[in-house]
Amino acid sequence: MNQRMLLTFLLLAPCLFAQADSQWVLDQSTLSYHVSHALHQTDGVSHAARGKGVCQAGRCDFLIAVPVKSFDSGDSNRDLHTLQVTRGAQFPLVSVRTRLPESLAGSATIQSDLQITFAGQTAEYKQVPFQLVTQGKQIKISGTIPAKLTDFKIDPPSLLAIPVKNEIPVKVEMTWHAE
Amino acid sequence: MARQFRLTAMPIVRKKIVVLSGLGLLLTPVLSFAQTASPNVAEASLERAVVRAVQEEFLSGMSIPDAEPVPFANAAFPSDLLLLAQAQGSTQQQTQPPAGNSKAPDLGDLFPTDQAQGNTQDQARLDRRSHMLKMHQRYGLITLGAMAATIAVSGLAAGKNNTATGRDIHGALGSVTADMYFMAAYYAIRAPRIPGTPVRGPIRLHKALAWIHGPGMILTPILGAMALAQEQNGQKVHGIASAHSAVAAVTYTSFGLAFLSVAIKF
Repeated sequence: MNQRMLLTFLLLAPCLFAQADSQWVLDQSTLSYHVSHALHQTDGVSHAARGKGVCQAGRCDFLIAVPVKSFDSGDSNRDLHTLQVTRGAQFPLVSVRTRLPESLAGSATIQSDLQITFAGQTAEYKQVPFQLVTQGKQIKISGTIPAKLTDFKIDPPSLLAIPVKNEIPVKVEMTWHAE
Repeated sequence: MARQFRLTAMPIVRKKIVVLSGLGLLLTPVLSFAQTASPNVAEASLERAVVRAVQEEFLSGMSIPDAEPVPFANAAFPSDLLLLAQAQGSTQQQTQPPAGNSKAPDLGDLFPTDQAQGNTQDQARLDRRSHMLKMHQRYGLITLGAMAATIAVSGLAAGKNNTATGRDIHGALGSVTADMYFMAAYYAIRAPRIPGTPVRGPIRLHKALAWIHGPGMILTPILGAMALAQEQNGQKVHGIASAHSAVAAVTYTSFGLAFLSVAIKF
């Protein structure tokens, strides 16, 4: 009898351990960086981000990643130069990790600690504010990440010997749904 | 005697088989995370993963005496990308989930390995391209300056105030302009192309204008030399040489527009 119980437990245990409470999947996204130069104001936009959130024991771990080369500034020459200075061929993805309490899903605003890996460097951004709008099973998140080139050891690219500004705020608009 | 020993030992063997089978099943989902290119790395990661899973599921904060603390850099289950990066000696740490959650998503959940994996050869090509285009930009700016100076002294080479010295200065500056121009052109033409990248934006106009100032920059010095020869022979500039100023004006204008097309956003 004991052997049967033990066997049943051992058979079922992997399934119990492997299960997460819930998951979130990124549906749509618009990520745009802004670069300031004395002669130009440039925005590069990407809709190619993919994301996943896994909730377990009341907390959710999110990972969002986007290919560096998917950002489009409207000028292929600039985009290729951006790819070069950000070492986008060697480190093709920008990834963002964050951990949030599951209970925040109904909030209007959240403060999130982000761990961003970009150009082979990882930077932490504390308490970045985001706005949340819940629509049925979907949650729309928007906010701006105050990224800087120096955070990722990127030399500011220059045009006509004038370098761009160090600040490259990244505007984030994402729509998630729970699975 | 031997038969009796075999009979008494059988239940113990059966129990062992049951327990070992169960443990094997318990480890199955863990093993599925540990698909690796390097068996040694997989083994070490698997051990860490088992320790972490046991810690999380059963001990809620307690530590296992003989288990080493898992540093963040090595925490959780490795993906193919991380193993490849380790194998290549890369410090890329894009794939590690946050510490404390063995089920946290990793990049392998979002992008296939071939898209997530970096390519140093492609990066080298981009670096070479950027370097050559910076040289192109530098020589282009020098050309612009030399071109402006050549035009500024053109009044000394032709018209009422022309002098032999003025013609020499104009000719010398024109030569410098042409030299710098062709250096700039060389770097633009020889810069590596990046396959699969369609040309978009103001750079299209910048490239299109090269079809005007390129031939213009070949013609202008030739016509200038012809005009100079006619002047030196005491002749009035005539024939195709008389188009020197007009061709130079078109060349200068198109070159200036090419500069503005990348310098100013419109």
